[in-house]
Amino acid sequence: MNRVVVTGLGPVSSIGIGVSAFTDGLREGRSGISPIRSFDASGFPHRNAGEVPGFRPEALLRRIDPARWGRSGQFAAAAARLALADSGLDPATVAVDRAGVVVGTTSGESVVVEAVTAQQVEAGFGGMDPDLLRQVPAGRLAHAVSTELELAGESLTLATACSASNYAIGYAYDTLATGEADVMFAGGADSVCRWAHAGFFRLGALTADACSPFDRDRSGILTGEGGAILMLETLEHARHRGARIYAEVLGYGLNCDANHPVAPDRASIAACMRAAHRNASIKPEDVDYICAHGTGTPANDSVEAQAIFDVFGDRVPPVSSIKSMIGHTMGAASGFGAIAGTLAIAHGFLPPTINWANPDPALVGLDPVPNTARQASVRVVQNNGFAFGGNNAIVLIGAVE
Amino acid sequence: MTQTDPRMAELREIVAEVLELEPEELTETGDFAEDYQADSLRAIEILARLDKKFKIEIPQSELPQLNNLKAVYDAVVRHSAGQA
Amino acid sequence: MTGVVITGWSTVSPAGVGRAALAAAAATVPAVATVPAAATVPVGASAGGGWPVEPLPAAPVDVTALSDEPLPTTTGHALVDFDVRAHLGRKGTSFYDRATALAVVACGDALRDAAVQVDDGNRARLGVVLGTSLGSFRSTSDYTRETLVQDKPYLVNPVLFPNTVMNCAAGQAAIRHGLRGVNATVATGPLAFLDALRYGTNAIARGYVDAMLVGAVEEFSPHRAWTTSLTGQPVPTGEAAAVFLLARADQSGWVGPRREAEVLALATAYGPGGGPAADRALTGCVTRAVRRAGIDPAEITCVFTGETGPEDTDEFAPACAALGHVPARMRVSRLFGRCDAATGGLALATFLAAPPTDAAGRLALLTARSPDGGTAVAIVRGWPDAGPADR
Repeated sequence: MNRVVVTGLGPVSSIGIGVSAFTDGLREGRSGISPIRSFDASGFPHRNAGEVPGFRPEALLRRIDPARWGRSGQFAAAAARLALADSGLDPATVAVDRAGVVVGTTSGESVVVEAVTAQQVEAGFGGMDPDLLRQVPAGRLAHAVSTELELAGESLTLATACSASNYAIGYAYDTLATGEADVMFAGGADSVCRWAHAGFFRLGALTADACSPFDRDRSGILTGEGGAILMLETLEHARHRGARIYAEVLGYGLNCDANHPVAPDRASIAACMRAAHRNASIKPEDVDYICAHGTGTPANDSVEAQAIFDVFGDRVPPVSSIKSMIGHTMGAASGFGAIAGTLAIAHGFLPPTINWANPDPALVGLDPVPNTARQASVRVVQNNGFAFGGNNAIVLIGAVE
Repeated sequence: MTQTDPRMAELREIVAEVLELEPEELTETGDFAEDYQADSLRAIEILARLDKKFKIEIPQSELPQLNNLKAVYDAVVRHSAGQA
Repeated sequence: MTGVVITGWSTVSPAGVGRAALAAAAATVPAVATVPAAATVPVGASAGGGWPVEPLPAAPVDVTALSDEPLPTTTGHALVDFDVRAHLGRKGTSFYDRATALAVVACGDALRDAAVQVDDGNRARLGVVLGTSLGSFRSTSDYTRETLVQDKPYLVNPVLFPNTVMNCAAGQAAIRHGLRGVNATVATGPLAFLDALRYGTNAIARGYVDAMLVGAVEEFSPHRAWTTSLTGQPVPTGEAAAVFLLARADQSGWVGPRREAEVLALATAYGPGGGPAADRALTGCVTRAVRRAGIDPAEITCVFTGETGPEDTDEFAPACAALGHVPARMRVSRLFGRCDAATGGLALATFLAAPPTDAAGRLALLTARSPDGGTAVAIVRGWPDAGPADR
């Protein structure tokens, strides 16, 4: 089995586009939340989200035409373009069919679906624009990356909702470990959309202004968007080209609650952590930092923390949620978590949970790294991702030994 | 008299549909969660349908109390007061 | 060789529910020999493998009962009288969308067909992966529509919110059948079944699970029917769920006596921009799969393609170029309409439904291609001792 390392990072986020801006955002505990501009939110009681208003696809993309691809595909392609640049890899040195893409998503080309739906309401089904209908398939998220970077290897979109980036990183890791590929771009993308905003509001899971995970008074998520892609390659390939290596993907674990479409399940999440540790050949005490799913809903944070207590006992590492800064970026969320975790290892700091004011008496023993980033030596990061459908996925990332 | 209020029959119909029951399976005091395996999504959906059907607005904060058909009926009566 | 075998399956298709319905439908459609256009016989290929023999296109049925909205055409390929309650009862099913219902029923029937009893001792080692184009286009679009037409945009139905997420069918299949292992959704449209086959095979080969339900689903809806019509697709809209139980051949607890087929090799590649780059990608996939399967390409006597158009050889021609001969071709869209993600699953089911004739088993090549340039192939050996007669 090949060892697999992270050598390029491509965040397109509300707190920064590109690895340097994103790192600064995490260190400063920046908030990317702003009033919604991508749709008319005036009829909603809550009107904030983690949009990426500074995203200018034409400034980042070289090959794909933004007019022919949806916003989520553009996020994915731009993030992959940034990851490639960050890696210093000369694509000409890689056999094209040995380089592939796996992109995770919750809602795919949601903005396009909303546009054709508005046309339906306006003019009936026959009024839908055929060019937009061709942009609807979710598979185009991975295809946007493959087209942008001219990659001839696998081009896979995994739609396992809000843990989809961890699925993508895990599958890409397998592809590299088994020798199917030399280089893989993996992560996720999603766009802020009206239907998710409405749905989360209706569930009572959407907060008004600030997401405050693990706080006593936490009251829900804010939706977010962006693209988060990591460039992974085999250790051998990275060393051969003299690459700067950020960290190693140690392994991952997946399981399914098989219980409820939206409610998290403590025992199942704990089982997923144990599976991830086993697959990565580590023990709980090896974990220095948990990049939490940490949505900021009362239920998720409580269940996630209890599962962590179950697995880690009295040695619970610091647990923070970057969703406090960028909102819940859905299918991209665990991709941003993986990037943050990689940066934590590479630069020796813990990203904070911002908007945190009061400890939750039910979560005694949990250190959420409140409000301010902290210097720390980080060798192993556990990156949590949970989702509707009970799709749990956890990736372990470690310093290269 | 809840038995004769035509709204009771309508409520029974609405709640039974959301809880995936035949209307006659639903008793006035059967607990939605305990007896009919309802989850919070179903509870919110019942609330949403009441709001739509009776043109009332029951605040989401009352959700925990709406745990059986009788309680739902009482809430509808309470929030309909002064309307129509 | 992947070491992964198929031990049971089911489809819910216009032909009905279950393998017998599919086998009957495939058998009753008369076959006609069609000489391919000159362009389909690539340079250097011999025609020794036989001319393509395919069924005549099945007649579409009246689908107006499936939509309150006007449809572009009154007919399509759908299982119009499908009623999820007849199969699973009312409890837990009344908020399923059609795609979820088709998939959950097919998963249950595939488990039965494979004689797998799910219990607390094995549920953590059994998973499911389903392919789709975008989940339920109808559920998602209708949810958005509600936010546009309601007085208050947030008065949407909370119970239906999970249906807007593409992993709904796989998540509900896990809930219904108690599957706690790897649960995944692959959203690559026409490639999705073969990508799901690859994903599921990998999950088993890497030891994350012992067995996987692998399948794909598309529902009939006005949204898909109008997409077919407005984008100028030549074949009527179809719907289906096709699900297979895969397990490692050496796991006797899962495999039992029922071995129906072996997944010999899978390959995928991308031709950026489509066109000739995708032709090359597909040819490369077939070449690689033949090598991995360790077979003589002459043994491949039939190619199941996802092609829909009468003149379309986008998959067949590159496949023949790689094989070096022209085997028979089967386009399942002629039987089941345009089923997008489910196409590959219907192809595999149609292959397995045909009674075996050769004692050594038969080989099939399955191909798929997306408009943007995605390609995927599988080589499957159908074993002669596990055909319909076994059941």
